[in-house]
Amino acid sequence: MSGGSVRVLLTSGRTLGQGRAMEKGKMTDDYQKAVAVCELDTASMESLGIKNGDPITIQTEHGQTVVWAKHNKNLEPGVAFVPAGPYFNLLLGSYTQSTGMPGFKSLSASITSTPDASILSLVDLSASYKEVRE
Amino acid sequence: MTESTETFKDVPCTFCGCLCDDIDVQVEEGRIVKITNGCAISKERFLGHMENRCPWPSVKGEKVSLQEAIERVVEIIASSKRLLIYGLSSTENDAQREAYKLAELAHAVVDNTTSVCHGPTILGAQESGKAGASLAEVRHRSDLVLYWGANPAAAHPRHIPRYVRQPGEYIQDPKEERKIWLVDIRATTTSRMVDRFIRIEPGTDLDVLLTLRALIRGHTLDASEVGCVSISELEEMATAMKSAKYGVLFFGLGLTQTRGRHRNVDAAIRLIQDLNAYTKWTMMPMRGHYNVSGAHKTSTWVTGYPYAVDFARGYPRFQPGEYTAVDMLARGEADALLNIASDPVAHFPRAAVAHLMRIPVINIDPKINMTSTAAEVNIPAAIAGIECDGAATRMDGLPLYLKKIVEPPEGVIPDRDILRMIHDSLQKVMKK
Repeated sequence: MSGGSVRVLLTSGRTLGQGRAMEKGKMTDDYQKAVAVCELDTASMESLGIKNGDPITIQTEHGQTVVWAKHNKNLEPGVAFVPAGPYFNLLLGSYTQSTGMPGFKSLSASITSTPDASILSLVDLSASYKEVRE
Repeated sequence: MTESTETFKDVPCTFCGCLCDDIDVQVEEGRIVKITNGCAISKERFLGHMENRCPWPSVKGEKVSLQEAIERVVEIIASSKRLLIYGLSSTENDAQREAYKLAELAHAVVDNTTSVCHGPTILGAQESGKAGASLAEVRHRSDLVLYWGANPAAAHPRHIPRYVRQPGEYIQDPKEERKIWLVDIRATTTSRMVDRFIRIEPGTDLDVLLTLRALIRGHTLDASEVGCVSISELEEMATAMKSAKYGVLFFGLGLTQTRGRHRNVDAAIRLIQDLNAYTKWTMMPMRGHYNVSGAHKTSTWVTGYPYAVDFARGYPRFQPGEYTAVDMLARGEADALLNIASDPVAHFPRAAVAHLMRIPVINIDPKINMTSTAAEVNIPAAIAGIECDGAATRMDGLPLYLKKIVEPPEGVIPDRDILRMIHDSLQKVMKK
């Protein structure tokens, strides 16, 4: 089966690759490759009919982002993971429950296979915020 | 060539809150060429310290002198009504002190990245206290180490090999005599390194913590499972935790950033307090940036409060949710941002970043980051622990001296000196 979308609980956090790329530089290709990915379990990959490196769109009530799919066979079905960084934050609400801390973990999200979508470069991602300014 | 080769011994690594101070750094011709003992990220930090650098001070993308950049910074600050000073976790203690001094002078709000990592830990500790320990004590004494909502293999790569899987005074064979457990919502590299992995349902940390508390106190529960963990397994865990000679809870952002925030930490603190009725248990947050622990500690020493400090009335006030950076930006309250050693454009929610794009931003950082692209003024700084000295605080509160290994790029000075220049120039402008 392919197409359609899957509902997931989306979480974020650190990865070794993200840490290394961050130290190298936040505007490098390495950093983009480390953070513009979404790890999905086997069932979700099969359901969407996608393979490693395919572009997918993640949608939450606060926004959407396009990233590369990455298979993680150890993930529990229904859980997806995006490394902490600018692509994940497009999906994030700013409500902090009066603590200062947004809810970085366990967002309800839908994931769709979008083979024709392109992943924004870090420069374009930054520029997209500037468009909001106008 | 040998006279131009120098090896610096026992250098603290300024990446994560472990502040591993056993790194040997080899320098040739003023360049770092090799490090030993460091993790993969540490290697990138030292060997790649000259990559992606912010090359010179700039205003609206135009190269200017440092003095001209400072003049523009002072203009922005002097004309702002609600300045937010933010960041500070990837710089050293003296720079943090200068930031608080500037905040007082400018009647600004000063917040550090604690507010988006272990801020809830501090709120929890303010409610319930916290039984702490040093990492050395963990190595020497602990026979049960419990990680909760943390993935040290990715975020603190040497935490387990350096502080936990090492023999200590009372633990001769750490593999046999010390057990490592992990509670998390997903399998990670860390879950494959530990002796026992307990997977819980996302968002049920508080439920599981409270269940453990009840079981440790001897209550019987009318439930077959909590958070997808069977009561029998939780009972077995509770018994083992009570039977440990010395237990340690290391908790990460899986506890502080998830539903419940500081209430999760509050419950974890009370769990440890309950366990101390039977045996010895301590707890420690897995602090991320190398000196985020220092940022909240220096803020507390100087202002009386750990983060989210408002000097609008001339004296410090503390209110998370009001004076925290994400809230101030998302509400559209801040009218200028001075960012030091952090990257809010890369790490804040969309609404907060959108407002940040509407106000003048001053960015002080050694490297180009996403906030650099949004900043009106960019000022490069020396990297503490590599290009200038200083002090930083390890995740257990131990202050360590950071060494200068190589010279910074020409004309680049430490954060503390840049902030002092801004403070002194602003003071002169305000006296006119």
